[in-house]
Amino acid sequence: MTEIRNEARGNAFFLDLSAALRQRGDLLQRLSAVATLIALVIAFSMVNGTFLSTNNAMTILLQTAAIGLLGIGMTVVIITGGIDLSVGSVLALAGVTAGLLVKAGLPVSIGFAGGLIVGTLCGLVNGLVVTKLKIAPFIATLGMMLIARGIALQITGASPVSGLGDEFGRLGNGALFRIIAMQPNGFPRVVFAGIPYPAILLIVVAVAIAYLLHRRTTGRHVYAVGSNEEAARLSGVAVDRTKLFAYALSGFMAGLAGIVLMSRLVTAQPSEGVMSELDAIAAAVIGGASLMGGVGTISGTMIGAFIIGILRNGLNMGGVSAFIQQIVIGFVVIGAVWVDQLRHRKGS
Amino acid sequence: MTETRSPLVEMRDISKHFGGIQAVRDVSLDLYPGEVVGILGHNGAGKSCLMRVLSGAMAPSAGEIFVDGAKVAFTNPLDARHCGIETIYQTLALADHLDAPANLFLGRELKTRFGNLDDRRMAAEAKTVLKRLNPNFTNHTAPVASMSGGQRQVIAIARAIYFDVKILIMDEPTAALGPSETEMVAELITKLRAEGIGIFLVCHDMHDVFRLCDRVVVMNNGRKVGQHRIEEVTKDDVLSLIIRGELPADWTARNAA
Repeated sequence: MTEIRNEARGNAFFLDLSAALRQRGDLLQRLSAVATLIALVIAFSMVNGTFLSTNNAMTILLQTAAIGLLGIGMTVVIITGGIDLSVGSVLALAGVTAGLLVKAGLPVSIGFAGGLIVGTLCGLVNGLVVTKLKIAPFIATLGMMLIARGIALQITGASPVSGLGDEFGRLGNGALFRIIAMQPNGFPRVVFAGIPYPAILLIVVAVAIAYLLHRRTTGRHVYAVGSNEEAARLSGVAVDRTKLFAYALSGFMAGLAGIVLMSRLVTAQPSEGVMSELDAIAAAVIGGASLMGGVGTISGTMIGAFIIGILRNGLNMGGVSAFIQQIVIGFVVIGAVWVDQLRHRKGS
Repeated sequence: MTETRSPLVEMRDISKHFGGIQAVRDVSLDLYPGEVVGILGHNGAGKSCLMRVLSGAMAPSAGEIFVDGAKVAFTNPLDARHCGIETIYQTLALADHLDAPANLFLGRELKTRFGNLDDRRMAAEAKTVLKRLNPNFTNHTAPVASMSGGQRQVIAIARAIYFDVKILIMDEPTAALGPSETEMVAELITKLRAEGIGIFLVCHDMHDVFRLCDRVVVMNNGRKVGQHRIEEVTKDDVLSLIIRGELPADWTARNAA
């Protein structure tokens, strides 16, 4: 009897240990991503002295904001077991909508709101096609990718919308705590570039969505749907509504990224964001999200987005061509997923 | 006997077809408080389909369901749960990436005053109910994918009995279990019956059926071919119903002899 009990206790101990190791594994993966990030920063700062300057840090924040925003929406969709290929095109359509509304004489805030609404609507359509027409997410969002891009090009005549005014550019170019000193010669000098609004937006959105995923019922259901859709349905989770929410959120994020980018350029570019859906997927996957669903975190995706952002920035400053950059990022994506799979193989 | 009381649940003339395939034909069934009814039949006989209709996972093509005498229509599993019908599915229906408390409360999460998930309370409640079912259950925070078949089964059972259950559907609850875990499930069934809960037990194991059930209902080709108190029949009688769809020609009630 005592033997059995000891054995049971031994089993329990072993299970505890394996659980601890698994958690350690997750931690290790997260640490390895952070370590990659730090290694990149050190390497680039050794090659180029100005890489580590405050101003460049702010530039990286700015450049990463778009990938990050798209990546956050993408992560939520990927956790449900789906994919959203339309975000790059929706980004363009939303930004162009905002630009055209402002060009038509509406206030900038209304223009931006219009862009966000159009983005969210595109996402909702994606969600409806996936849940009601039961079309695979890859196909549904591939269709939306073509449709949204086509509309963006059609309504602008494929040419950029410019002359939108300073107000339009404030969101993308403004910064908090920017310190400008007047020099004796009458020209202003930027003492501190400040924290760009897009970076602040990214952080606020990341924290809000991370909170939603981990502390709210909706987030719990997002994971459940991706983990086992049938189990979620049988447990009373509103599967369709959860998916609809995920795609609508991704569309909204694409809209947000769109107005930020267009505001940055003070021009509405219908050809903006081509292939940026792939950056967003890469950021989520480098951050540990699984395309099989059920796995992924916002913090991971943020690290993934910064790895891509820093790689781009550092390689640019090092004078590496855009073609080589693509090759490097391609290797990074495959490498990150390979490391992730190694971890899972060991775990099971 | 129990028949003088009113039934917990009554299914009348339930049919279910998928296109041209008739999975369940005009089946009527009832269940009384504190009664265990075994649902038998070989694979594809329609027993799982019938149970899915009762659990709200599937809408019947025809027929009516009454719970405590009141007519109900389930459009989803949550409707059935609100009527006190809980189901332990053969597949267990667990979300592999979530931990035990998250699975236990999936679809019915406990929340704080501000609508946030109350993970601490869910963990504490899950710990209590899991410990009662299996004292060796300790790794509550691991994803259920990393757990043994027995532990996963315990979570699925805990999810059904934690809430206010009146009618429990168990779809082959012991199929994936070892002997000691099977014994645990048997004890649990006995205990729940004593508490006045009605149980539908879908089962293939004759030994368990004769040990645990008060009544057996046998299905064959989507029809109910027999319904007997367990004292009336022998294992051979039940096997004959399952395989041939009828009792042996010279059948007389076992307890009448």
